[in-house]
Amino acid sequence: MDSLMAELLLLRKRVGNWVLLGFWLFMAVLFSYLLPYYAYTSDLNFHGRGVGVVLLIALLPQNLVANITNSFPFFGGTMVLIMGALAMGSEYNWGTLTPVFTQRAGRLKVFFAKILALAIALVPFVLLVFLLAFLASVSISWREGQPIELPPLWDLLRALAAGWFLLAVWAAFGVFLAVLSRGTALAIGLGIIYGLVIEGIISSFGRQIDLLKQISTVLLRTNGYSLISSLGVTLPSEAGPGGFSGESVSGTQAALVLAGCLLVFIAVSAAVIRRRDVSGAS
Amino acid sequence: MGIGYDCFETARLLRMTQRIHRPGIRVYLRLKESKLTESHVIQTRELRKRYRPDIMAVDGLSMRVKRGEVYGFVGPNGSGKTTTLRMLLGLVRPTSGDCEMLGEAPGSPEALGRIGALMETPAFYPYLSGRDNLRVLARHASVSYDRIDPVLAEVDLTRRADYRFKSYSLGMKQRLGMAAALLKDPELLILDEPTNGLDPAGMAEMRDLIRNLGHGERTVLLSSHLMGELEQICDRIGVVKDGRIIREGTLDELRRGERLKLRAEPVAEAIALLKKLAGVGKIDAGDGGILMIEADPSRAAEINRVLVEAGIQVSELCVVKLSLESVFLSLTEEAEPLG
Ligand SMILES: Nc1ncnc2c1ncn2[C@@H]1O[C@H](COP(=O)(O)OP(=O)(O)O)[C@@H](O)[C@H]1O
Ligand SMILES: [Mg+2]
Repeated sequence: MDSLMAELLLLRKRVGNWVLLGFWLFMAVLFSYLLPYYAYTSDLNFHGRGVGVVLLIALLPQNLVANITNSFPFFGGTMVLIMGALAMGSEYNWGTLTPVFTQRAGRLKVFFAKILALAIALVPFVLLVFLLAFLASVSISWREGQPIELPPLWDLLRALAAGWFLLAVWAAFGVFLAVLSRGTALAIGLGIIYGLVIEGIISSFGRQIDLLKQISTVLLRTNGYSLISSLGVTLPSEAGPGGFSGESVSGTQAALVLAGCLLVFIAVSAAVIRRRDVSGAS
Repeated sequence: MGIGYDCFETARLLRMTQRIHRPGIRVYLRLKESKLTESHVIQTRELRKRYRPDIMAVDGLSMRVKRGEVYGFVGPNGSGKTTTLRMLLGLVRPTSGDCEMLGEAPGSPEALGRIGALMETPAFYPYLSGRDNLRVLARHASVSYDRIDPVLAEVDLTRRADYRFKSYSLGMKQRLGMAAALLKDPELLILDEPTNGLDPAGMAEMRDLIRNLGHGERTVLLSSHLMGELEQICDRIGVVKDGRIIREGTLDELRRGERLKLRAEPVAEAIALLKKLAGVGKIDAGDGGILMIEADPSRAAEINRVLVEAGIQVSELCVVKLSLESVFLSLTEEAEPLG
């Protein structure tokens, strides 16, 4: 409990984490609401042709869940991957494991306090983005003179939980990479390259090559999109770095695979932390 | 808690109880006995650490630090001091051998809760203030925040406590490290080169601080690569070289190696003659026909007579007390392979 308070203090006082949170909120609302709405209002060709209406409907409060959860599997994941890698990797960069591990709390206690603190820190990432998305959608429907219909509460809760879960997997991935590489730089670099390049390539070639198709079913992004699509969410188009073009698996399978990844990341990190010698700053 | 109770003291108490059969005394004695097992605060046996097949950082190190003493751990850079201290704190796993800290396993919460440590360059979170850094550590140590102000005052850092750690000078960083080590009001302080990188004024300040901390029943284990630095603070010193303690003792015991300083002409003949004398140890030839001879000072007259009788001119003969620094240098160089 004491160690958890310490780890929360560390996360709270770190400006970088607030920057990540702000960046994530801004980008998520920009891509999910502001840009689509701008496209809708500026491209008059849409009007009366049906396409524009489809675009607008996605932005209304009743479709909140479908519209905002799209940002979690890749974009949100990358943000919290950085947060996880910073939280863990900095301990190696600064050599602070030495003073921390010579207090009283054991290594595993400190490690799980850090994991728990990160899990708690993810809550505002989820809640605030839903809150902002809600405000954006309400303003849009108000401007467009549409009736304001709220999404079903159960869908909303499920989406909040799924969003938190997806972020947790990515944050744990960041911690895992930081423990293995004993620092921040390589962990963040590898994490982003993995999400951006490796998964993208594997899932796009997966359509032609059967083996890659098999592999893509255990990847983070594929399963992330599969999980949210099982909540009844329309997937983003194939274009762009966050685009999804891989094979979809069932929601249950995706949840299980992701939970497995989360467990493996945490268990391996814990085992390494417990065993490995702690020397000075690197 | 008292000063270390040695066997002698216990034997005396035992004799006392044999005479006086009063239950109160027995209880008293039993208490003392439980302390006895702890009279060695640190105990290591044949500690070894191999980092890589070719790096044997610590190689069979055995030492005992008694309760209440200030123990100096001195050796050249790379002799394995830091590695040893890290093993004592449970940060580094020994390859073989064992050690006991305050009667507990190294790195166990029971041991760590009573030990304060400052390892080499102090490591803290740069974006946190000095005070917040101490808060983080206090939480991990389950120590009340009430301890923070006193330890900040003790190292004279109160004024800058709310500035970020990254704005601190090296001296302030080191003092914050010392404050962190004192948070738990520990029985045992482990300080690894606490004056490293400080300017002379900072060094003197740190030395004063350590000297004050070492007073009373607190045990201090202090490492340094400079003998001169420990000379003024320590009760006992262990000289480390290549991961082993090559000499251990109180300052007086270490200093005991007095030498005879002799100026004689011709030098070569004098050396040849001295080598034949019984009880004469190592002979170092210096510039200008000066010889430093390892021999009992009481034999000065005899040596003088022998040389003069052989027709050698002796222009100077006196007893020289070695400084600890030169004892240290001769110890650590001596052990070096020739060539
Ligand atoms: N983490 C490490 N990995 C490999 N070798 C190390 C490590 N730490 C120290 N060493 C080596 O072990 C030896 C002893 O180092 P150290 O314990 O730091 O000595 P000291 O503190 O006396 O200067 C040195 O040769 C050093 O290079
Ligand atoms: Mg060292």
